[in-house]
Amino acid sequence: MTAVGPVLRLAYLYPDLMNLYADRGNVICLQQRCAWRGIDLRVSDVTWGGQLAERHDVYVIGGGQDRQQRVAGQSLIREHADRVIGDVADGAVLLAVCGGYQLMGRMYRDADGVVTPGLGIFDMETVHPGVNDPRCIGNVACMWNSQRLVGFENHGGRTYLGGGVKPLARVLRGHGNNGQDGSEGAVAGTAVGTYLHGSVLPKNPHLADHLLSMALRRVAPEYCLPPLDDETEWRAHRAALRMMGLSIDG
Amino acid sequence: MIRRGRYAAATVAGRVAAASSRVARKGGGTAIGGLVAQIICPGYVPRGLGQLSRLVLVSGTNGKTTTTALIVAALRASGTSVWTNHTGSNLERGLAAELMRRGTWHGGLPAACHTTGVFEVDERAFAALLPRVTPAVVVLLDIFRDQLDRYGDLDTTARAWRHVVANLPDQTIVVANADDPLVVSVAQAHSGRMIWFGTDGVGNAVSPDPWADVRNCPQCGERLIYDTLTFAHLGRYRCPTGDLVRPEPDVGILSANVFGVDRLEVALRSGEWTGGAALATPGLYSAYNCAAAIAVTGVLGIGPADALKAIAHSGPSFGRAEVIHTPEHELVILLTKNPSSANQVLDLLSAEPQALDTLILLNDGIADGEDVSWIWDVEFERLRAKRLTVGGIRAHDLSLRIKYSGVQPIDGDAVVELGISRPLDRAMERADGRLAVIATYTAMLALRDECVRRGWVDPFWDGGE
Repeated sequence: MTAVGPVLRLAYLYPDLMNLYADRGNVICLQQRCAWRGIDLRVSDVTWGGQLAERHDVYVIGGGQDRQQRVAGQSLIREHADRVIGDVADGAVLLAVCGGYQLMGRMYRDADGVVTPGLGIFDMETVHPGVNDPRCIGNVACMWNSQRLVGFENHGGRTYLGGGVKPLARVLRGHGNNGQDGSEGAVAGTAVGTYLHGSVLPKNPHLADHLLSMALRRVAPEYCLPPLDDETEWRAHRAALRMMGLSIDG
Repeated sequence: MIRRGRYAAATVAGRVAAASSRVARKGGGTAIGGLVAQIICPGYVPRGLGQLSRLVLVSGTNGKTTTTALIVAALRASGTSVWTNHTGSNLERGLAAELMRRGTWHGGLPAACHTTGVFEVDERAFAALLPRVTPAVVVLLDIFRDQLDRYGDLDTTARAWRHVVANLPDQTIVVANADDPLVVSVAQAHSGRMIWFGTDGVGNAVSPDPWADVRNCPQCGERLIYDTLTFAHLGRYRCPTGDLVRPEPDVGILSANVFGVDRLEVALRSGEWTGGAALATPGLYSAYNCAAAIAVTGVLGIGPADALKAIAHSGPSFGRAEVIHTPEHELVILLTKNPSSANQVLDLLSAEPQALDTLILLNDGIADGEDVSWIWDVEFERLRAKRLTVGGIRAHDLSLRIKYSGVQPIDGDAVVELGISRPLDRAMERADGRLAVIATYTAMLALRDECVRRGWVDPFWDGGE
């Protein structure tokens, strides 16, 4: 399809270090949902040691192993902090999943007690209780405004939100941020953090389109996102709800 | 030291349990007996394996069942008596079941029997078992991302392996994949003899995908430089700091040509010897399995020419490109477990001269991984199918992934049905004759059970010697 619509620039951060749980599906999802609408989404893979010279409208980062997450965290702070923080403050969208989400908080203390400072986009801290504490693993359903989100979580770290950030959703099934306060993920302006894999966006097309709408608001304020036929997406979404024993109609 | 009485009692009780399970047609079969034997006698497996004159253990993420079968084929052709777990039941209870089934009434070996054991072992069970046995040969095939909800990440597996390999006695020979940097970092912990297998001439001058399972040096974390890549993260690589050097293979893959699901033509080198064969185990990854088998059987005293000849005559293993004949169709069952094996299967199908009718079954059982996120790392963009049917417990997730791949089946839209038997029926209704079935582990078992129910194939506990 020839793109005649607006142009969006997406930076996929550390696909080499932070793609343990196939969160790349989020990039594939945004790519296709843009292509089907004639939006020209240009994706740059920002691998470890790579450049991030120009402004981007969307940043996406996934989850990784502890060791890789430490490397990504250090590189992010040293090389790309100003760019990412500045763009997000200026209306660029951030989707940060699992380990990538943890890196966007103020700090992450891993299972070995090593502290990695984060970008501080979300006012939150994440602490790994140690390898002897069980990981938070399993299917998740949660309430995002008046709608549901579904996915799969697999994380050792427990995230505690501060006063300057709101949870993305309330947990219906699963652990969410810390398994205690019922919160899942975080929202700060145009930045969205979550523990949900699956990948999260394909099975939650309303969240995918919410991110695209936010990104377009700055680039093409007049542009209205055309609806898509999302029957396949909602079928997978409903199947996940049913699997967790939740009713499929609200 | 375990008393002989307890071992014998465990054997008898396990057999009774296995027989009851078979009568009740509970499926899964043999492993239940193994579990009972292990409860009665916790050291059952080390003791049972200790009776064998030689022991070979095969572990890795992909290729365990096929490699084990190839080693066994070469050994049996040379007249060696072998015990093995041919169905891929590779947890400790699966090994217990096999020991129980093969021995005399009390589980011992028939007198004066020189038996070699060749067993595949699950990668986590391997780390638990290795310190309690003394194998003659240990085979380390590869480490790929697989079932993260169960095994944890790759580093966890590598760390556990490194620890047990470092404590192996010197007389154990380690046969390892030189093309997998993570495996090399593990195998180098061994102080005894090493035999390496890997590519000599196969591969392209490209780097792994950014999202490949391994991109950086396991020692220092620097980005690895690849001279050639076979697939996934396997190839000829080096670390820029020089702290991980790829060992020169003792058994090398000179060439490997994929002819769809039917065969693979390989040429191998072992020392000065070179030879080639057509294998019934298809796919480029089979070249690695074959090279590993040649390396192992060489250690056990079989020349590479004889071994390769026997390997070429052996059929595919349980559920691994196994062909099941139905009254009107031929099902080719292709097991996939993780992104790397699924990508290999997709390559296999695209190497068919004409696109095949295809059924893909995705389950989320414990043995499959309950998290199906991994399908987003499978390059369904490479899928080539004539008529496509999608099934399994997570059929809707799979059809969503395929939608986003942008791939269209050549002949009409994909059909989506939950479960196993309905998608199988729908796929066969539409198929011309040959139907490729890509299935995750529990979906493969369920499909096979369905074929047993319909009388198309023997149940696996009766099959294979």
